[in-house]
Amino acid sequence: MLARVANNLFWMGRYIERSEHTARYTNVNYFSSLDAPRQLSQSRQFVLRSIRFMTGDMPDESVKSLDEKETLFNLSFNQDKNYSIINNVRAARENANSARDLISTELYEALNKFYHYVTNYPSEVFVSKSLYEFTVYVTEMSAILRSKIHGTLLHDEIYAIIMLGINIERVTQLVRIINAKYNDAKKTESDNPRAMENSYEWTTLLKCCECYDMHRRLNRKTPHQLSTLKFLLLNPNNPRSVMNSLDKIYDHIRLLDPDDDPDHESTRFVIGKLRSTLEFTHISEIGIDTEGYIENLLKKISDISHLMEEEYFNY
Amino acid sequence: MKIKSKHPIFSDYEKDPKLFDEIFDEEGKVKKIYKKLFEIYGNHSIEDFEALNKKAKASFFNQGITFQVYDEHQQKEKIFPFDLFPRIIHPDEWEIIEKGALQRSRALNLFLYDIYHDKKILKDGIVPMDLLASSKNYLHQMMNIDPPGGIYNHISGTDLIKHSDGKYYVLEDNIRCPSGVSYVICNRTALKRALFGVFDHYSTHTVTNYAENLLEIIESVKPQGVDQPNCVVLTPGMFNSAYYEHSYLAKAMGVQLVEGRDLYVDNNFVYMKTIRGPEKVDVIYRRVDDLFLDPFVFHPDSALGVPGLFSAYQHGNVNIVNAPGTGVADDKAVYTYMPEIIDYYLGEEPILNNVKTYRCGNPDELKYVLEHIPELVIKPVDEAGGYGISIGNRLSKKEIEAVKEQIKADPRKYIAQPILSLSVHATYIEDSGSFEQRHIDLRTFSLLGKDKEFVLKGGLTRVALQKGNLVVNSSQGGGSKDTWVLKKSK
Repeated sequence: MLARVANNLFWMGRYIERSEHTARYTNVNYFSSLDAPRQLSQSRQFVLRSIRFMTGDMPDESVKSLDEKETLFNLSFNQDKNYSIINNVRAARENANSARDLISTELYEALNKFYHYVTNYPSEVFVSKSLYEFTVYVTEMSAILRSKIHGTLLHDEIYAIIMLGINIERVTQLVRIINAKYNDAKKTESDNPRAMENSYEWTTLLKCCECYDMHRRLNRKTPHQLSTLKFLLLNPNNPRSVMNSLDKIYDHIRLLDPDDDPDHESTRFVIGKLRSTLEFTHISEIGIDTEGYIENLLKKISDISHLMEEEYFNY
Repeated sequence: MKIKSKHPIFSDYEKDPKLFDEIFDEEGKVKKIYKKLFEIYGNHSIEDFEALNKKAKASFFNQGITFQVYDEHQQKEKIFPFDLFPRIIHPDEWEIIEKGALQRSRALNLFLYDIYHDKKILKDGIVPMDLLASSKNYLHQMMNIDPPGGIYNHISGTDLIKHSDGKYYVLEDNIRCPSGVSYVICNRTALKRALFGVFDHYSTHTVTNYAENLLEIIESVKPQGVDQPNCVVLTPGMFNSAYYEHSYLAKAMGVQLVEGRDLYVDNNFVYMKTIRGPEKVDVIYRRVDDLFLDPFVFHPDSALGVPGLFSAYQHGNVNIVNAPGTGVADDKAVYTYMPEIIDYYLGEEPILNNVKTYRCGNPDELKYVLEHIPELVIKPVDEAGGYGISIGNRLSKKEIEAVKEQIKADPRKYIAQPILSLSVHATYIEDSGSFEQRHIDLRTFSLLGKDKEFVLKGGLTRVALQKGNLVVNSSQGGGSKDTWVLKKSK
């Protein structure tokens, strides 16, 4: 496979996954806030700030009040914001365009439909009344695309590259979401020393990652800080966990680099090391300095992406 | 005259008795081959057809078979207009077209070999020397190169029309990078999606076997010493208007689609840059024009090509399909010698008619042209895409004078042909919501390889969508139709 095209397919995967997380995060936070148990979580400003934090576009300290329509427009249809859904979907399709000969017609057609849906969607309707429909459509379309990737492509190196893009993006977004909601939970701290640990934000966090129900099934009680973090970071059976995604990343990189004695600076080696370290990390080790841990994890994942670019896409 | 039809969607059909109608005979009755189709279509209401037309358009749009247009504010995607009424070609008629197209491809191939080697045809005085000397598409760099398999024009697109006498005439041979074959296949797909029922009543040849035959052809002309050739399609990139076709062909052949920047030449071998390092390339089906292929030899500022590619080709380490320099033979001035060329190399009568052509480079013929402009079509010899064509009976006196001046300034640049009336075909017109007569032509696709030939049974029927317009090129607002070549009944 051409290095240039591999790069494009890698980013196609990343952009598809990214738009989904933005849509879901917005949807879940907005709608859970409507009847949240605590005053702060119910505040619209609190939600808008959380969304801005997650997209990496935090306003200045001086900005007292965020405009709801503007915030929603920015994350969905604002072409000047690189994180907007429309820009992600456009970038995904543009990357697919340059590799149209390699992917299946079914996958391309689904992505193309998605693109036309998003580019023709009336943004004024979205910001005023169809937040739910649009964000749900985006998450469903991403699921369809993943199914087309999984079900219509040959599971060879092309597939591996796309899946690496998807899973690297998933880990990145998971960690960003954990980071954003951790930040929200911290704000709910009050006189009660256990307020943060039992914050409603952990429930929202699990819903943001589409795994609230499964957490319930596994733990049979209301989510709290450690159970949530353990489930999202370390549980290998939760498809929305960092551990699970790293397992997949490792599987796919082995498809690209089947050498059983890899160079210690190779992408495969570095991914394997991160995966194994996480496998043998106990949640109590993370609890000591959760913020530091999350920050470090984000950096390591971004390093892996750069390493991949160096090793495979450098043309 | 109005045709007699009880069907509302044909009720406005005005049949011009001067034109050859593919569907209706002189009395306005439906021809036998179209009867069943006419019946099925006639049973649709106007609203049904509107809905079907929308469905077909959506099919193209969702498949991403589009081109970009730019207005003041943003770029937009448009589809090439597609018509729901297929054109049907009788097997007997097709047999002649197929044989004739192949005959021309073969003759052109021999002509190309000759003019890049011994130039016997010039020495024998069949084709005048200055015809080549003055052609900007003649590449002296190709002299004495022996392309693998002896093939220059692996892919030929022959443009045909049917005149009011009911006979086919060749308008031109396209042997540089003829495009449009992907639309043949998409049109079929779209028609099947919209009106699958009609296929039950006709036994039509498939068109989806083009890519497998193309791959066989380009593999057959592999460089010497190569066992399993590594073939690629070379595209100028995704902003090229034919990018869809390039990616379709690469996908359908299962080969890599590459851009110039993905390739490099080392020690006269061509490599592509893959995730595992360099991989040797043996055959390049290029969709990049000659002059952009290699900045070392042709346009020095071309970023689309590959530095050193031509040298690798000269060394026989890579094959380029179609060969560089084929443009000299699809020149409209060479076209006028086709009957002589066919006779010279094959000793055969041309199977397909050539349109009588006046070469303005010849003083006697120039004189005739200047005196008869209102009856002629004037064409520049080296423009593609329908550009620069003047149709004599559409010109004002002032315009006629301007055209005369243009021709006199550079007679070699122009040819003239009698105004042919292209045949017409019922075509769905969105604005009126009914079928109307529109002019059509036909492009066929033939392939030449080492010991292998193939003609796609079907072709691109292009439609001039504006009433009365004779120019069918998509760059000039033309649409297209699915084209059915019927199987011989057993």
